[in-house]
Amino acid sequence: MEKKRPQFNLDELHRLKWLLGGMLVLLSVWTVFYLDFQAWTLMGLTTVAVITTLIWPGLPARVPPWWHRLAFPAVVLFFVGDLWITGQVLPAIVRLDILLLLYRGTTYRQKRDDLQIIILGLFLIVVAGVLTVSLVFAAQILLFTACALAFLLVINLVESAEVSPVKPNAVDRPTWVNMGWRRLWARGREVADWRVITLGGVLFVGVVGLSALLFLAIPRFQLENSLFLERFVTKKARTGFNDTIKFGDVTEIQQDNSLALSVDVTDRAQIPAAPYWRMLVLDEYRDGTFRLSAPLRRANFTGEITSSIARGTARAPKGEPVFWTFYFESGVSRYLPLLGPFEQLRFGETQNFRLAAKLGVLALREEPAAMIAYRVAGMNVADTLEDASFALRLKDHKAPDRLTSTLQMLRVGLKDPDQAVLTGIVTQITGGAVLSAGEFTRRATAWLDKQHQYSLSPVVPPGVGDPLVRWLVSHEAGHCELFAGCFVLLARTAGFPARIVTGFRGGTWNAYSNNFTIRNSDAHAWCEVFDLPTASWLRADPTPGAVTGADEKVQGEATLARRMDRGWSARWDSLRVFWYRRIVNFDQRTQAETLKAVKTATEKSGKQLRVTLSELVERLKTWLASPWTVRRVAKLFSALALLVLAGWAWREFGRGWWRQFRRKDARADPVRAKAGRWLREFSSVAQGSVGKAEAESARSAGAGQATPPSNEAREVQQVRAELERLRFGARATWPEPEPVFRRAQRALRAARRRGRVTGS
Amino acid sequence: MRTARRRFTWNTVLWAMVFPQRGQRILPTISGMLLILLSLGVGMAAYNSANNILFITLSLLLACLILSGVLSWLNFRGLAWRLEIAPPLRVGHEIAVGLGLRNRKVFLPTYGLWFEVVARHVANGPPPPPESTITGKDLKDLDVRAAWAQATSADGRGQLFLRERLDPRSETRLEWLFKPARRGRLRMELASVGSQFPFGFLRKLLTTELREEVVVWPAPVEYRRLAEAGARRTAGGERTSRTGSGGDLLALRRYAPGDSHRLIHWKASARSRSLLVRQFAAESTEGFSLWLRTDATIWPRPEQFELLVSFCATLAEDLFRAGQLISAALDDEAPVPVRRVADLELLLDRLAVVQPGKKTPASDGVGVTKAKRNVLTFAPDGARGVAAYVDGEKTATV
Repeated sequence: MEKKRPQFNLDELHRLKWLLGGMLVLLSVWTVFYLDFQAWTLMGLTTVAVITTLIWPGLPARVPPWWHRLAFPAVVLFFVGDLWITGQVLPAIVRLDILLLLYRGTTYRQKRDDLQIIILGLFLIVVAGVLTVSLVFAAQILLFTACALAFLLVINLVESAEVSPVKPNAVDRPTWVNMGWRRLWARGREVADWRVITLGGVLFVGVVGLSALLFLAIPRFQLENSLFLERFVTKKARTGFNDTIKFGDVTEIQQDNSLALSVDVTDRAQIPAAPYWRMLVLDEYRDGTFRLSAPLRRANFTGEITSSIARGTARAPKGEPVFWTFYFESGVSRYLPLLGPFEQLRFGETQNFRLAAKLGVLALREEPAAMIAYRVAGMNVADTLEDASFALRLKDHKAPDRLTSTLQMLRVGLKDPDQAVLTGIVTQITGGAVLSAGEFTRRATAWLDKQHQYSLSPVVPPGVGDPLVRWLVSHEAGHCELFAGCFVLLARTAGFPARIVTGFRGGTWNAYSNNFTIRNSDAHAWCEVFDLPTASWLRADPTPGAVTGADEKVQGEATLARRMDRGWSARWDSLRVFWYRRIVNFDQRTQAETLKAVKTATEKSGKQLRVTLSELVERLKTWLASPWTVRRVAKLFSALALLVLAGWAWREFGRGWWRQFRRKDARADPVRAKAGRWLREFSSVAQGSVGKAEAESARSAGAGQATPPSNEAREVQQVRAELERLRFGARATWPEPEPVFRRAQRALRAARRRGRVTGS
Repeated sequence: MRTARRRFTWNTVLWAMVFPQRGQRILPTISGMLLILLSLGVGMAAYNSANNILFITLSLLLACLILSGVLSWLNFRGLAWRLEIAPPLRVGHEIAVGLGLRNRKVFLPTYGLWFEVVARHVANGPPPPPESTITGKDLKDLDVRAAWAQATSADGRGQLFLRERLDPRSETRLEWLFKPARRGRLRMELASVGSQFPFGFLRKLLTTELREEVVVWPAPVEYRRLAEAGARRTAGGERTSRTGSGGDLLALRRYAPGDSHRLIHWKASARSRSLLVRQFAAESTEGFSLWLRTDATIWPRPEQFELLVSFCATLAEDLFRAGQLISAALDDEAPVPVRRVADLELLLDRLAVVQPGKKTPASDGVGVTKAKRNVLTFAPDGARGVAAYVDGEKTATV
């Protein structure tokens, strides 16, 4: 029969329940950290209050009863007021949830209140997960599940241990609050059995594995309905990626180093040397601001489409189709980053969007509340954008009498003094010659590079007139928007239609997850100049440090080698991409692919196993069939001897070691450990007074003197004997441990005091 | 008899995991209903929105439900139980019905079980044939509620809770205090074993086949001795050698638990290699023969008959304790000597199940057999009472 282990009594179970309930509340409310709702004050208040009541669980009993009577009406009032003032349903519900958790976490609970904590907490975590699709959700839901299961287990144990269930009210002070956390910890160590804890851990890993399997196996079918929760949240995009930008907006985004976009591609060779992830085309310049003009919007954007597929105008090149999968983080923009026009773009679920196929721009109706994934096929990654219809329109509308989208690209819109300055600079750049768009781009970029340096903190000289022109004529450093804006004005002055494109430039190649990672700090603004002879828009990046034409020829693996990222942030991002690829973006097609891959892997491994086994059998047969020599026999017997030796060693040493290991928990007995510590204390002063006292008694015994040993020596002997019994003796023979320890303390103190006296 | 083992198939195993086995009932608790509703809600939202976060939550909820089932199975596994009822059982006397529990698992403890113990009266006679077919005609007369109430009626019903952890390879005993209300055969059944372990989602109930039949002896009654008859009783009687506390060695018998160690006959024990104890003859050889007639014509009232049986049992015990009971007979059966405790227990077992019977030869209630003296008989005493007669003379009443 196994040694009887102690077990938690009812008070200890209640205390454990209190602890787990508090942990669940804290875990739930901490979703506010990554949920972009205004609930920081409530979260902070809940955290402080719950931690305080966890440390001092007697505090809720001091709260006057009227407080509890007022609690419910106050919560309702808070919710109604919140809803009325903010007008947002979901944030108000989340704040209400936190408030209820605060109340439940700081008052004594019945079973139904405990269940409420689980439900409220789960709601908060799931809402945060759905709205943010954050990787933190995975960690949080796992922790929450573990805590909730332990919580339910303890609730069940409390229920089964209670002779008559006591219904606590929120005011009465229960008996379990008198127990200290240290005592609970010590009891926990006594009660714990490493085998049961290990099994619990294994089972929890099993639960995670099982839920992963269920996740893979749950049949999927699309109901073509957009998510309900997202409708209750409104998000504001970064201003730099809106259809109106002021100078400095894009640069502001560059200060943010968080992840903006992750891109998977099926063929690495297609990755351009300098990827420009275009999001928005801005054509109209007015009052120092570039914006998407109404004519361009009308001419290029379709009406709103509600679908999960967007069909573009580009055609995929022949050969193996290349797919680009984008994971676009929320909070960046409602315009989706793309490398250019595409053949088809597919979302995970139905979306409302407008498409400008020729511009290679797609705008969602609202900014996505969570990460949005889309898969693009047949995307044109070249640095030119063919637009034959624009060329035709450009030829037809030479007279600037109508403000069309075509002419908008030619319009500078400045007052005469500014216009004169621009004309002078253009003359300086072109030297009076008629240049092609490409050549003009090269010369204008060189001119700008010569005049200005790059800086994220530019200074626009004060004065009258257009700010861009003021900066252009100065020698101040500038950022990408200033360079791009000035280039557009110069190009238009020179007679080339030009426009600004905003988005991201470059990115790094994550060596762990094999995908492109683009951060907000990669935000960029560049230009496109129309080249009439080729009827296409040429990309022009006047910002210093931009990739030159020679560099752009480097593609594929060479690009990846240059952009390889193996840092710690890349590791974290790879986790996030794994989360997006395998969990968030998991759909019916991925499910079928996964199942097919599992089937293939199983068949392959089974086949491999069969081959390996048959090879082994063949080798054994060959070995047995070959002629027996003395050496072979010796080898065989050596192997057998080794086997026997190993068996003997296990029997002699291994088994004993294993038993010793299994008895380890006996060594960890706190009473034995404490007795051991006291014995060591006695040993350390054995050379001193304790030793003297014992030696004295030994001398008296040895000399056969009639004088008995002194009281102190006798006490030391007795205490030491009792300590040894506690340390090594059978539990049944133990004296009461605490009095023995107290006596040991007194004896040791007396001995040390005597040592000091004699020493002095 | 060995039964053929069912062939192992994976289908059977999978089906057993999905569908409760025979004799098992699984009912959701409030937490369980909440979990199921939550799973349904999350599942509907997941399918409605095709959101994988919700699919993950759904998977976790389902995995927790499966974990709950696995832990519950582990909790029940390796558990053995037995009913421990220590006779004698008497009407109106409280007894402790013990339930021995043993956890045979190697390292896993067992938590939070409850046991429903039911005590049912067993009717005398052979069990009724099983009714496998109910015809329309039967249904007309059948009051289902009454039939169900009769089938589930019980003399006593108790719940025992395992409030503490039952460690691996350890045993414990739970006790239910029960007071039998009527004599006769009583069947103690462990009706069900239940648990909500581990998370309280499901209430799992196992029905068991564990039952034990015990006999409840009649209740002892207070009776009044009549002095003159008692005095006369010693005038003569049957002489017989019976065990008692006298000085003469009567016989040797096997040692039984509870026997005094002083009575062990060491020499004889050494020879026979088993413990033997001495039995001494009773000092008094005077005794009575008890004759109980159950003639239904004499005892038409059931309550009076019950009183008769209780009175008879009480007298038998008192006389045996005094060493004055020689034999006992029921109706027209041959008298059975009552020498040892076992004989008395046998008599009380008979009395526990005796019912009003057919007419016996001397059914006038006061008739005395001529062959023996000191025969103790019984007759109604008024409408409710019972009187005991020794050789026709009233000796005691109740």
